[in-house]
Amino acid sequence: MASARRRSRSVQRSDAATGLDQRPRRRQVAQTTKKPSLVRRLHRPDYQIILWVGLLMLLGLIVMYAIGPQRANVLNATHHTTYYTDTYFAFKQTLSLGLAAVAFVGLSALPFAWLQARAGMIMTVGFGLCALLFVMGNLLHVEAVAQCSLGACRWFNIGPLGSFQPSELLKFGMLLYIALFIGARARQGVLDDYQQTVIPVVLMTLAALFFVVVLQKDMGTGLALSAIIASMLVMSGMNKRILATMLLGGVVLIGIMIAIAPHRVERVMTFLQGDDHVAIGDDSYHIRNAKIALGSGGLFGLGIGNSIQATGYLPEAINDSVFAIIGETFGFVGAVAVLVLFVLLLVRLLKIAERLPDMTMRLVVVGVFGWLGSHVMLNVASMIGVFPLTGITLPLLSFGGTSMVFIAGALGLVFQLSRYAAYQPIDEKESSHHEITSSRRWIGRARYASRRRH
Amino acid sequence: MQRHLTTKRARFLAAVALGLMAVFVVRLAYMQIIRHDYYVSQADSEQIKQFVLHAQRGEIYALDGSTPTKLVMNETVYTVWADPMVVTEVDKVVEVMNRVAGGNVRDNFRQYLTRQGSRYQVIANKVSRKQAELIKKEKLAGIGFDAVTQRVYPEGQLASQVLGFVDASGVGRYGFEQANDKVLRGTDGVLKTVTDVRSVPLTIGNKNIKQPARNGTNMVLTIDRNVQAKVEQALRDGARRTGATHVSAVVMNPQNGRVMAMANLPTYDPSQLAKVTDVSSLNNNTITNPYEPGSDIKTFTVATGIDKGVITPQSTYNNTDKIKVDDITIGNASKGQTGNITMQHALNWSLNTGMVTVAQRLGNGRYITRQARDTMYEYFHDRFRLGQLTGIELAGEAKGNIISPTQQQGNAVRYSNMSFGQGMDVTMLQVSAGFSAMINGGTYYAPTVIAGTIDGKGTFSRAAAKTKYTNIIKPQSSDTVREMVHQARTAFYAGNDTPGFYIGGKTGTSQTIENGKYIYSQTVGTYLGFGGEVGKIPAYVIMVEVSGKGMALQGGQDALPIFTDISNWMINYLQLQPKG
Repeated sequence: MASARRRSRSVQRSDAATGLDQRPRRRQVAQTTKKPSLVRRLHRPDYQIILWVGLLMLLGLIVMYAIGPQRANVLNATHHTTYYTDTYFAFKQTLSLGLAAVAFVGLSALPFAWLQARAGMIMTVGFGLCALLFVMGNLLHVEAVAQCSLGACRWFNIGPLGSFQPSELLKFGMLLYIALFIGARARQGVLDDYQQTVIPVVLMTLAALFFVVVLQKDMGTGLALSAIIASMLVMSGMNKRILATMLLGGVVLIGIMIAIAPHRVERVMTFLQGDDHVAIGDDSYHIRNAKIALGSGGLFGLGIGNSIQATGYLPEAINDSVFAIIGETFGFVGAVAVLVLFVLLLVRLLKIAERLPDMTMRLVVVGVFGWLGSHVMLNVASMIGVFPLTGITLPLLSFGGTSMVFIAGALGLVFQLSRYAAYQPIDEKESSHHEITSSRRWIGRARYASRRRH
Repeated sequence: MQRHLTTKRARFLAAVALGLMAVFVVRLAYMQIIRHDYYVSQADSEQIKQFVLHAQRGEIYALDGSTPTKLVMNETVYTVWADPMVVTEVDKVVEVMNRVAGGNVRDNFRQYLTRQGSRYQVIANKVSRKQAELIKKEKLAGIGFDAVTQRVYPEGQLASQVLGFVDASGVGRYGFEQANDKVLRGTDGVLKTVTDVRSVPLTIGNKNIKQPARNGTNMVLTIDRNVQAKVEQALRDGARRTGATHVSAVVMNPQNGRVMAMANLPTYDPSQLAKVTDVSSLNNNTITNPYEPGSDIKTFTVATGIDKGVITPQSTYNNTDKIKVDDITIGNASKGQTGNITMQHALNWSLNTGMVTVAQRLGNGRYITRQARDTMYEYFHDRFRLGQLTGIELAGEAKGNIISPTQQQGNAVRYSNMSFGQGMDVTMLQVSAGFSAMINGGTYYAPTVIAGTIDGKGTFSRAAAKTKYTNIIKPQSSDTVREMVHQARTAFYAGNDTPGFYIGGKTGTSQTIENGKYIYSQTVGTYLGFGGEVGKIPAYVIMVEVSGKGMALQGGQDALPIFTDISNWMINYLQLQPKG
């Protein structure tokens, strides 16, 4: 691993030398000075990202507003206060969205090269914080710092700011670092090399999974992390046989993970036995009520303010279960609309990725695709009862917190990278063949060129 | 192979994402459209809760003169329950409940706070409003209150056997509470409503149904609390005087059949039900306990003879102190009044031979023929309604038994005995009601304890008159009998009566039957009489009975003084005017 980091550092240096850290102006062509590389066109970013992200966030805010009174009522009754007002959650969500917007704008402006140079550091900090959390929570039991439940410590308490989940930072660091690593290996032509590429990636992944799944007992984040890395590996163009081998290994690993942890066995049993599950566990209650929320919503839903499941029946109504509340409030139409928005965003991410000339950039965008996609899939799948509960949030819609800020930041980064995208899918071989000509014509049509024909 | 690899891989990822999304959409369509009704019913069974809106049980009033006054009131107490799924602070709940309502909690109630799979566990009963407020102030999660009404008795144990009581499940037991349970109870309402997880009703949706409770009716008894109190006092005094263990009395208005007082000793305190050891003390013996009335019935025999015209007060017969009926010989308790004596004389001295003579004269003059027996049965059973349920609005009324001449048992010997009150089973209320008809001009008023109702605003509506039967005997027959009964009293016992009033009465001393045989060492003393202004229909009829295990209690010596005590008080209470 240490050698991998050293190798990657050299890659970073060479990338830093390309002058990417200079703030490029619109439609300016950044010339490569050293070794001839891809021509980088800079142009307007892809505003569709903002459109879909904005719509999803707005929808989340509407839901917070809609069920705010119910949630406030439940919490006030539980804690015997009048602290929570009807608009408390909508207000807090607005603040979270503000924070998310800052993260989005920040990462869309922060030069990618600067970020690349610190990818290793970010990942290291992510690992470090996860280790610190384990020490504080599981070993020293400092409840003031580490938030634990049932022996799983996943959050740091950060006073008035709420809580921070270090595995989110780890996810982000892993995404950046592995994109960089695979990008470099691909450029060196050793993408399919077990020694140089496959095994280091697998080891890094296992290290991260050890912290997340074994120490934090967070299968959901583990699956998301796996999905991020798997998406990047698939997109990298790695040999199918290697990918299949890793998939097989992953499945076996997941099987072992489930088998050794009783709470996961319970979740799987809950899932498999469905409504007939005898034990009145929290999970089966959770899933049953999520299904009731969705099913009773019907085609058009009960309407804003009419959610009954949010009055305390459905656990985590504004966080993990927000999709079920959307289904109850806005019905099939609303639930499908949310899925469609996510699909539009995800497909957009792939579209950007396939048109990015640089492998690292491409992998970063696909990593974000894997991140967003896995969160959406895992969350929705558990709500509709086709996958066990993993306790993962629905990105951009769930109430506040670390995950919102990080996913917004990641999307901000994609937004930045979208400025480099060509208007037509890039073929690695062809473009590298033409790169010496420094011609833009082979990369793709000028914007709107195709429309002019109509 | 390498050409368009990126596009291929991107399409592969897109296909995975889109494929999963398609599965989700299909699944959503299945759940939200096809299985919508199923999930709605699931939601309803979880979210809709049904609450019982308890009807307030009707209160019971007595009369204070003519004004209703509360005899049985409701007090709201609370049943405290826990929802184990919501309760979190078990220790705090235990501490608060023990501190505030330690006397009302269930034994070892901590276990109910954590009972799995239950949403409702009672942890304390009969918590007062004040205690409930103190508990509510602690804001314990998962603790709820059900208001329950409990009966309270501002007059203590007054008329307890008339009232009966309400058991723990809210059902009327004994007496008025049992007999009028439906009317008093009212109809519980129902609130079906969508609630939040803590069962707090929500106004969401259109599935909320409210059917308000209809409170029970407030009833006013004909029992006059003053008369009742006096009678109970008189019984206690009488019991002390005579040593009788069981004493009973009925006071009714002969002009309308309304019962003004009904009392028995021993009795019980309805607010101290747990302390009742002798269940028979819950019974109102004046209606539940038929007995052989004895000589009081001689008034009925005389009334029958007079109404039939076979005797007058001055009719004579030859008294030999014994008379033969078939194979038995009947004697008199008081001997020596032999010779040709009048019927008035026979009544005054309570001579059995005189009554058998009347029965014989109802026949062919020498024998109690079938015709005589039919006549007696007609008067006793059909007209004076002895051996029939009076229909009094109280639980546990017994019918008694008058054997009809159509039965083999209803022979001449039987009817000779019946002429002086043996061989028949009747209740004190039956005798009092029949006697009232006898002396009021011949109208039988079905006895009642219901004076009317009081609505929510406190307006007293009088009950409709109950059934009456006119011409039980001819008015002049009634006048004649009334005078004879008056004479019977004044002949021996009138010394203690308030002067200037018209009082009449007849003693009775009946042997009791043990193991099918009359025993003389254990007798029941009774007194049946009336009182009122001179020249008017009497204002009250009083019947008294005293008895005790192994005690020979006499009508004249033991029951009569109690009658006199009550009678003199009644004259005063009813403000009757003496003959100037």
